[in-house]
Amino acid sequence: MSLSFGMAGLAIKNLARNRFRVILTVLGVAVAIVTFVLLRTIVWAWTSASDFAAKDRIVTRHKITFVMSLPKRYIDDVRSAPHIKEATYANWFGGKDPAHDREFFGTLAIDVPTYFKVYPEVSVPPDQMQTFVDNRKAAIVGDVLAKKLGWKVGDHVTIQSGIYGGDWLFDIVGIYTATSRAVDRSTFLFHWEYLNDAVSERRRDQIGWIVSRVDDPSHAADVSVSIDRMFDEKEIQTLSQDERSFNASFLAGISAVLKALNLVSGVILVIMMLVLGNTIAMGVRERTSEYGVLRAIGFLPKHVVWFIVAEAMAMGVLGGALGLAVSYPFVEQGLGRWLEENMGTFFPYFRIPPVVTLQAMLLAVLLAGAASVLPARRASRLNVVDALRRVA
Amino acid sequence: MIPLRYNVRSLTVRKATTVATAFGIALVVFVLASALMLSAGVKKTLATSGRRDTAIVLRKGSDAELGSVVEDQNVGLILASPGVTTTAKPAGVGEIVVVGAMEKIGASGVTNVQTRGVTEDVMQFRPEVKLVDGRLAAPGADEAIIGQRIRGRFRGMEIGESFNLKKNRPVKVVGVFTADGSSYESEIWVDKEAVRSAYGREGVLSSMRVKLASASSFEAFKMAIESDKRLGLMALRESDYYERQSEGTSLFVGVMGTLIAVFFSIGAMIGATITMYAAVANRQREIGTLRALGFSRRSILASFLFESLFLALLGGALGTFAAMGMGFVKFSMMNYTSWSEMVFSFEPTGPILLKALGFAGFMGLAGGFFPAVRAARVSPVKAMRA
Repeated sequence: MSLSFGMAGLAIKNLARNRFRVILTVLGVAVAIVTFVLLRTIVWAWTSASDFAAKDRIVTRHKITFVMSLPKRYIDDVRSAPHIKEATYANWFGGKDPAHDREFFGTLAIDVPTYFKVYPEVSVPPDQMQTFVDNRKAAIVGDVLAKKLGWKVGDHVTIQSGIYGGDWLFDIVGIYTATSRAVDRSTFLFHWEYLNDAVSERRRDQIGWIVSRVDDPSHAADVSVSIDRMFDEKEIQTLSQDERSFNASFLAGISAVLKALNLVSGVILVIMMLVLGNTIAMGVRERTSEYGVLRAIGFLPKHVVWFIVAEAMAMGVLGGALGLAVSYPFVEQGLGRWLEENMGTFFPYFRIPPVVTLQAMLLAVLLAGAASVLPARRASRLNVVDALRRVA
Repeated sequence: MIPLRYNVRSLTVRKATTVATAFGIALVVFVLASALMLSAGVKKTLATSGRRDTAIVLRKGSDAELGSVVEDQNVGLILASPGVTTTAKPAGVGEIVVVGAMEKIGASGVTNVQTRGVTEDVMQFRPEVKLVDGRLAAPGADEAIIGQRIRGRFRGMEIGESFNLKKNRPVKVVGVFTADGSSYESEIWVDKEAVRSAYGREGVLSSMRVKLASASSFEAFKMAIESDKRLGLMALRESDYYERQSEGTSLFVGVMGTLIAVFFSIGAMIGATITMYAAVANRQREIGTLRALGFSRRSILASFLFESLFLALLGGALGTFAAMGMGFVKFSMMNYTSWSEMVFSFEPTGPILLKALGFAGFMGLAGGFFPAVRAARVSPVKAMRA
């Protein structure tokens, strides 16, 4: 064992022999690791929204399509169902700020008295909350959205709706923040009553979807089924899912993108292995006679293998560490902040998850080891005499 | 000049290294070309859906047909507006667009598919739409024709099978159509009245499309529609409408692809640099001999640059060739403006393939530059003595 450790030390010292090549290789590994971390973080940020989703919340919507609404009286039926603690409803308003035509953000007409009981992770300062409840034209917005569009408490804004048509005036009375990563901090929330009073007779008393909280997450599946059964014989049927499955069904729409990103993050690792393997093979070729000497003085083939693999793994460690050191400021300060501010709807929380860090480091080391296996075996199988004769 | 054969043969001396480097470059080029092809596919799908001499009328402020409402009572007014064709028939079609959840075959969960309620004369209005299998839906019947790209992807999406428009309202699929690769190929077409009654939307349309007298008469039409504030409608050229829809998606794919390609290429360039440095280091004596024979520094530089370029182009050609194979792959993605799934293909266009190959060449030159400079600086006397 001590021999092995001694050899590992020697192997690492070997790195200093062709410094330039080693530096290039380590840089190559680092670039690959940065790319890997970036791609993995994108996939994670996308899927995490559904992982962080509350399991005790059930979303009930129109069975055929979420674009169509439900009669408002359905909320009373849901509220009276067993195991339901709270239920609220909302309409998708499809609004945008005409002054920022290109900015996409969610606009929801909500039932103010119940919404925050169902979504306790949305937090509003108590004084702002009071003004919001009292003023029917009031709206509160997420802190990320407020920052992006430069809105402050006390502003009056005009929002155009693609679904309800026309210009709508709102007073911004509050800014909400979120205590959970899954909540989008760029949504615009306002009174459902304000919307309902203004729409035509035909669209009155219609709600987009119902969100309810169950007393125990383990009941979520049964409660979903029983809600849908309740409306099965009514004129409009419903589809209830717990929030996580609901989000997952949205993700299904981009599953091909996720798959492609996963595939590409694998490809970069293959390229990394090629670069590493190439470097190792060159080193081995240049030092063939040295391995001959090692063998001649009694080292076994397995020692030669260990020697070469350890050198490769040392490069993997260096490259991986450098890559991660670059990834953190790059992803978390630069790109991540930009994404959270500009694409908050899709990436409410863009940070490198610890599991990706671990994966990246392990893969850098293991793949470096794997890349060196072939050259190492070739070196170990050399006939001592042949190896010695090959004086470069 | 040093014969090019010298470089080509040098590359074959150390096969493993050459193959590893070329393969790395091939992977980079493959990823880049695929991303560009997909971006082009998205653009093509959404761009061929729109014509410049057709206008689409939506409710003011709507981003897509899905959220738009046009009252039936305004149809006559729209058709009588200036700029609308007086010769072609039909001059316009009013349609209703909804999305419905469909069960995906071979994957769990449901996906939204766009359903278009169409009129009887839709095939005359859109001559690019061709029935490729089965027959047209009978007017007024609960029958549907479906786009080629969704055929077999969802439950019920096959001739002879049926799906539910709403509960207990099955609609039978009787035909499959193509539409020049446009987004209609990801849609289900059902009789307008059937959709309206199933979705409780009697009396309303999502959009109204009209044929213009000519592409240039659009401004007059737009003026007429938008000046009447009571209507609350807006008019767009159909081509602009689809371009706006594709903007986000194709931008996303393009940016993502380029970002990935940039990172990848740094890795591949480092690989090429390492390989070329090793080549230079191993051939000190050869280079010294060449210099002693009278070849100039410049021709040594050129020779090694060529070697690197050749190596990269070899990989580039391999990667481009592999990327062409992606032409057979279908890529389905949520279109966030219509909230429904659309199927895109990878478009292998000439300029993209050339761009990918050019990119490989660039990687070769950039990666080989410093090694080539070092080779050119070799002193003949020292090299031969070593």
